[in-house]
Amino acid sequence: MKNVTDSFVSLGHWPSAGSFGFNTDILATNPINLSVVLGVLIFFGKGVLSDLLDNRKQRILSTIRNSEELREGAIEKLEKAKARLRKAKMEADEFRVNGYSEIEREKRNLINSTYQNLERLENSKNETIQFEQQRAINQVRQRVFQQALQGALATLNSCLNNELHLRTIRANIGMLGAMKEIND
Amino acid sequence: MNVLPCSINTLKGLYDISGVEVGQHFYWQIGGFQVHAQVLITSWFVIAILLGSATIAVRNPQTIPTDGQNFFEYVLEFIRDLSKTQIGEGYGPWVPFIGTMFLFIFVSNWSGALLPWKIIQLPHGELAAPTNDINTTVALALPTSVAYFYAGLTKKGLGYFGKYIQPTPILLPINILEDFTKPLSLSFRLFGNILADELVVVVLVSLVPSVVPIPVMFLGLFTSGIQALIFATLAAAYIGESMEGHH
Repeated sequence: MKNVTDSFVSLGHWPSAGSFGFNTDILATNPINLSVVLGVLIFFGKGVLSDLLDNRKQRILSTIRNSEELREGAIEKLEKAKARLRKAKMEADEFRVNGYSEIEREKRNLINSTYQNLERLENSKNETIQFEQQRAINQVRQRVFQQALQGALATLNSCLNNELHLRTIRANIGMLGAMKEIND
Repeated sequence: MNVLPCSINTLKGLYDISGVEVGQHFYWQIGGFQVHAQVLITSWFVIAILLGSATIAVRNPQTIPTDGQNFFEYVLEFIRDLSKTQIGEGYGPWVPFIGTMFLFIFVSNWSGALLPWKIIQLPHGELAAPTNDINTTVALALPTSVAYFYAGLTKKGLGYFGKYIQPTPILLPINILEDFTKPLSLSFRLFGNILADELVVVVLVSLVPSVVPIPVMFLGLFTSGIQALIFATLAAAYIGESMEGHH
């Protein structure tokens, strides 16, 4: 029995304990199974992996192509938009220039017409003033004339008697006589 | 009594064919620490694979990705999707962390399952996946724990600890306990799965050296991938959970 335990104890004693080296025992190092496992793994894994990677690559490629197309489209759109902007700008410039000249002309016209209106108004005002003046002068003249006439009438009525009548006639006759002499 | 020596002989014969080592380590003395050199060596190998392949893949980037670049971009997309679904809004800064976890664990697991590490003989112990050592998985789980604390604290300030008394303050001990069990469960799950997986393969190989272990090895590959995915998903989920607001 002691023998048995001894031999079991000796199992805990490893002969391999020693130094570095290579274990050449094919069964212990298990290279056959490992190579089989590796081979199967590579055989099946390669297909799966390459499928996966190919899919991924295709996906990336299509993504790149899509974005490339999108980019081109965007660039095209940008160009179009730029051209439109340029055109719109030119039109705006034109409009602005036109508008400015139009405004200028309108302004000048307006100023002219206002000026003319003003002149006309001025004229009519002056005329009115003159007219009013004339009327006033006429009135004054009439009044003065009337008063003079009334004065003269009054004087005549108060002073006219025979003697004066005769003197006047006489004076007139003298005057007429003088005129006749001058004519002769 | 006659049967026993006979069986011992058979055992010895089997043992000569192959041996199953558990808990055997090749120690290096660095500073005051004893480190598991076989884990370090395989980790370095995995890191070299990751860094080297990434460097080669990004060395000459194209607009339309070629094979290597395409593959790595696919992986990156996968990781980003994973973090997006688990973390949600603001997942961006966590993609490198989740990606590092996932890639390191995945490549570690698969290197253990696919590479003939046992060809190289060490003075003691044997080379295997880095993740079948509890130290590695703990070293992966603790930063995850730190990460979700950091995420929660930077997002909500000290109000983050308010989640301990939600929905009721009665759950306070359980909630605190949960924070300690998260890294524990993360590390133990990964460690246990990978170790068990490799042990099953080794035991089967020691019993029937060829053909029979192959299905189990495939199962191991599957488990390894799933475990890496689970670790990354859970890390992202924890980070997302600590960042999302309950109000």
